[in-house]
Amino acid sequence: MNDTIVQIMWWVLAAGALAGAVTVVFSRDVLRMALGLGGFLVALAGFYMYYALPFLATVQVFVYVGGVLVLILFGIMLVHRSEGDARPGLSSRHDPGSAAVAVGILALVTSMLWPLRDVMTERPASAGTKAIADLLLGDLLPHFEAAGALLLIALVAVIVIAGGDDR
Amino acid sequence: MNIVVVATALFSVGLYGVLTRRDLIAVLASVEVMLGGASVLLVGLARTIDMPATQLPGGVESVGVLIVVLAAAEAAVALAVVIAAARALSTSRVDEMTEVGG
Repeated sequence: MNDTIVQIMWWVLAAGALAGAVTVVFSRDVLRMALGLGGFLVALAGFYMYYALPFLATVQVFVYVGGVLVLILFGIMLVHRSEGDARPGLSSRHDPGSAAVAVGILALVTSMLWPLRDVMTERPASAGTKAIADLLLGDLLPHFEAAGALLLIALVAVIVIAGGDDR
Repeated sequence: MNIVVVATALFSVGLYGVLTRRDLIAVLASVEVMLGGASVLLVGLARTIDMPATQLPGGVESVGVLIVVLAAAEAAVALAVVIAAARALSTSRVDEMTEVGG
């Protein structure tokens, strides 16, 4: 019974993520697109919870939903000027070639990973935040430091690129 | 195996958005969808395949956190480029950006 509920939750998460992704790609309303992206990112956090990664799910909600989504909303505010009461619209150029590329990638990756179904197992339990801290500040310390340096460089780059014309 | 199909479908939907969207912000949002699909595939496979590298305590979460950090930096820089381009060219539509110059 419990397994059935977990399986249903997995499919609800999958449906939510796909619905959010489709909204991002096909919506003509710019705010609806941002809302779809928010739903998609929350569904990803749900996937991380399903795979027993609570710390990663928390980081996903904080950084993505709380940071990147707000950043994109700011971008929409700065780039799109609405005329009158109407919200700015988004247009697409749907063509069969792009659809063929997307479906081809889907078929290619799925068929390449299909043999893995024989070695897949049950999901393990969470390791807890102590193991993550031991790893990030132990063996993965160079990566951790590099990520910090990259964030600093990105911060400076953003200020230089979007800093305005009065330099 | 379902996670492979769903994650790859998310990636493909995002790819279709990158190829067909005309607005730079929408292209950026589609790139985020692609990135999300790839991270879910990584996490899902690492959690369901029994290999020594994926059984390291905290290993998947550590790599996932590093991916989220990289994605945040990428989104910030890409958005700055979008805003700078929209201001310089007075448009945010990719099909109207036909000139490249220093």
